[in-house]
Amino acid sequence: MENKVLSRYVDELASQVNGVVEESFGVLVLKVQATYIIEALTGAKNFPDVPCDFLHDLCGVDSGDHIEVVYQLSSLHGPQLLRVKATMDHENPVIDSATRIWEGANYLEREAYDMFGIKFKGHPNLKRIYMWDDFEGYPLRKDYVTEPIEVRNVVRTRIEGE
Amino acid sequence: METLNYLLETLNNLFLIIADAIRGLFADPQSVWANLTMNVINFIIVVIIVVLAALILILLERKVAGWTSQRPGPNRLGPRGWFQTIADALKLMGKEDVTPAGADKLIFKIAPMIIFCLPMMTLAVIPYGKDMAPINIDLGILYFVAISSISTLCFLMAGWGSNNKYSLLGGMRAVAQMISYEIPLLFSLLGVVMITQSFNLGVIVEAQGTIPFIVLQPLAFVIFMIAGLAELNRAPFDLVEADQEVVAGPFTEYTGLRWGLFFLGEYGNMTAMSALAATVFLGGWQGPAFLPGYVWFFMKVGVMIFMMMWVRWTFPRIRIDHLMHLAWKVLLPLSIVNILLTGLGIYIYRFVMGG
Amino acid sequence: MSIEKTEELILNMGPQHPSMHGLFRMVVHLAGETVTNIEPKLGYLHRGMEKLAESRTYSQFIPYTDRLDYLASPHNNWAYVQTVEKLMGVEIPERAEYLRVIFGELARIASHQVCIASTALDMAGWSAWSYAFRDRERICDMYEMTAGSRLTVNIMRIGGMSAEPPEEFWPALQSFLDDTPEMLEEYYGIFFGNEIAMGRLKNVGILTKEMAENLSITGPVLRASGVDYDVRKADPYSIYDRFDFDVPVRTGCDSYDRTIIRMDEIVESIKIIKQAVRDIPGGPIMAKVPKVIKPPVGEVYHRVENPKGELGFYIVSDGTTKPTRLRIRPATFINLQMLPIVAKGWKIQDVVAIFATLDAVLGEVDK
Repeated sequence: MENKVLSRYVDELASQVNGVVEESFGVLVLKVQATYIIEALTGAKNFPDVPCDFLHDLCGVDSGDHIEVVYQLSSLHGPQLLRVKATMDHENPVIDSATRIWEGANYLEREAYDMFGIKFKGHPNLKRIYMWDDFEGYPLRKDYVTEPIEVRNVVRTRIEGE
Repeated sequence: METLNYLLETLNNLFLIIADAIRGLFADPQSVWANLTMNVINFIIVVIIVVLAALILILLERKVAGWTSQRPGPNRLGPRGWFQTIADALKLMGKEDVTPAGADKLIFKIAPMIIFCLPMMTLAVIPYGKDMAPINIDLGILYFVAISSISTLCFLMAGWGSNNKYSLLGGMRAVAQMISYEIPLLFSLLGVVMITQSFNLGVIVEAQGTIPFIVLQPLAFVIFMIAGLAELNRAPFDLVEADQEVVAGPFTEYTGLRWGLFFLGEYGNMTAMSALAATVFLGGWQGPAFLPGYVWFFMKVGVMIFMMMWVRWTFPRIRIDHLMHLAWKVLLPLSIVNILLTGLGIYIYRFVMGG
Repeated sequence: MSIEKTEELILNMGPQHPSMHGLFRMVVHLAGETVTNIEPKLGYLHRGMEKLAESRTYSQFIPYTDRLDYLASPHNNWAYVQTVEKLMGVEIPERAEYLRVIFGELARIASHQVCIASTALDMAGWSAWSYAFRDRERICDMYEMTAGSRLTVNIMRIGGMSAEPPEEFWPALQSFLDDTPEMLEEYYGIFFGNEIAMGRLKNVGILTKEMAENLSITGPVLRASGVDYDVRKADPYSIYDRFDFDVPVRTGCDSYDRTIIRMDEIVESIKIIKQAVRDIPGGPIMAKVPKVIKPPVGEVYHRVENPKGELGFYIVSDGTTKPTRLRIRPATFINLQMLPIVAKGWKIQDVVAIFATLDAVLGEVDK
């Protein structure tokens, strides 16, 4: 019953932000373009009756041809869950920061920047959080080479030599 | 019965008899040379007391810690771990002596030496038995407090000289804390001084023949204990060497024997403060005659030290603003009230007794 | 030339510091003893778990989850295996569910005991620390009986449990449950009831309800700010809907409530374990799962109430034996955001205490 109410609101929101609604394992997924993300998140936060007003998680996903930011929204006043996915260009991922809606997005966005190189516009302190400051590359991207080339070459020559 | 009494009397005055015997070796027992020899011997005895106290107390502290926190404590070296301190001392001696780059070398090196000297100077005025004070001076209490407050300077020197921010913070805390607590400490002793009309520790002990001053001055004793703990930087007032905030405060950069000297100094100071408490409030060497006076004295000191350890391992650490609050807004007014009440009491006593 | 102005002292606490609970570093700006700014610096324990997961099979990743919040490792296992089970649609046997609840709640008790202990220790309450650790040993013993290891137990499998608890487990559990009220009384007596501890924790580090919601705080820290929210009640996973328990909520919003709420939670966990021990059925402890775990294409998000907060796993599967993306939502990483905001203006000693009440485990923060 609640899911139906939520589903109606999500459908309405999707039509406003040019999004697509899917369902996966009982959770509604709203897919939008990165440019609409602030509208989508504020809309979800202000659903009447079933507000998804708690930023549960924020993470980046590299799906090969594009990069997504996945927002897991929930609420402290009910069991409702909503997943919002913002799709971005793979080469130059830029998205508006959610820190103006939830302060808690601060570290999560820094982590997404650290791991995927997603640039969050309007973030107060967009620096690497886990890796050191002059680290090169974005480790969780699919095109990231895990070992440095030299190390890999050394290992290869040793294996081939034996 | 006669022989037993004689034996007890001899045992009680054992050290005085030995001292007289040594003096008797000189042609003139009161000559300058005899006095000098006695002073040297007294000095050596005090050094032995400090070092022995440290050796025993370090082990005792760890055993008490084990007891309060329900674990065995050190139990590997020697019977029941009694040789632990010796092993620790050997380990400390074998360590490299590191002086940090950028340290103020003279100050850095001199601070532990000074702090090790202080307990020897303070313990020299304590009467260990009847007429058994190594140095008998009339301003004993004042001397004691004045000397023990020099340790403030040592902590500041160590903190400043180490060129480390944690040490500096610790040194600053030491100054703030120890200067604040010196005032209630001295004020709490004033009540006793008013009753006995003397600063001499020997006279104060003599005056406690019937009842110890803890009965007459319970408030002063409590204030003295709290202020004494703070003066010694013992928990819950160990802000100076707080591991969890300023790592080890002024001791952070010290290694090996220098660090060991700080420890010796700390335990020596603890012994000295307990000795003062035992002398002023618990009746010093006074006690039932079946034990010699010095045994009574050291038992009282032991009880005080045990109390301090017990408190240390039980209470969490106090915060710096609460610490200052306690010193200036609680202990100081209370100690002044105590002085007032003592004065009133003495007045009424004299009035009633017609003195 | 202004002489009155004092110089700001920049103190670098950590990564090697006695009260930093692992490898946490923060740069503290001080004016005297008062903190004017804090910059947490993370990543000293970063092992790249999410990256590692992409090159491991689903079952191979279970031991890695132990190393997240290593003080409550069964709960991390639980969160992970449930996510995979949700993705694959595996139903697990009743007995395994009950055993999972028992071990999960034991982990919660152990974790909370460590929190109480380390909060006490960060305030130099040495005895309180060893009291709590003494009791935690018994839980570690129970882990050891069942799984063979004491800290990172790796006790759950996709589809059930790794091992049936041996016979001596049940009496040990029973005696532990019986002794708990006395233990809590002891903790209260030696630490929470102490005047100095109260003075240092009460009304310190206020995290209001609004701030907590805005900062995405979860777990006991959130509940100490007066929010009645627990995933076990709000969105019950596993078999939590069968048990009768309360969600402890405190409204003090301060360090004291953030710590003492864990005592209340231990009481509730004991209630749950007692019910689970009473109701536990017999039967197998492993469901029939294929040898090679190949979940269907899809993505799933699952959250559980870890002792530290909500632990979430988000798995994107492409139908192969390894996940395309495995995202861990670390609770304390997000909770840690409150530290610079809340601790500003307090003394350096309070910062240590506030950090301790967050119960941050750097294994989880840095992943």
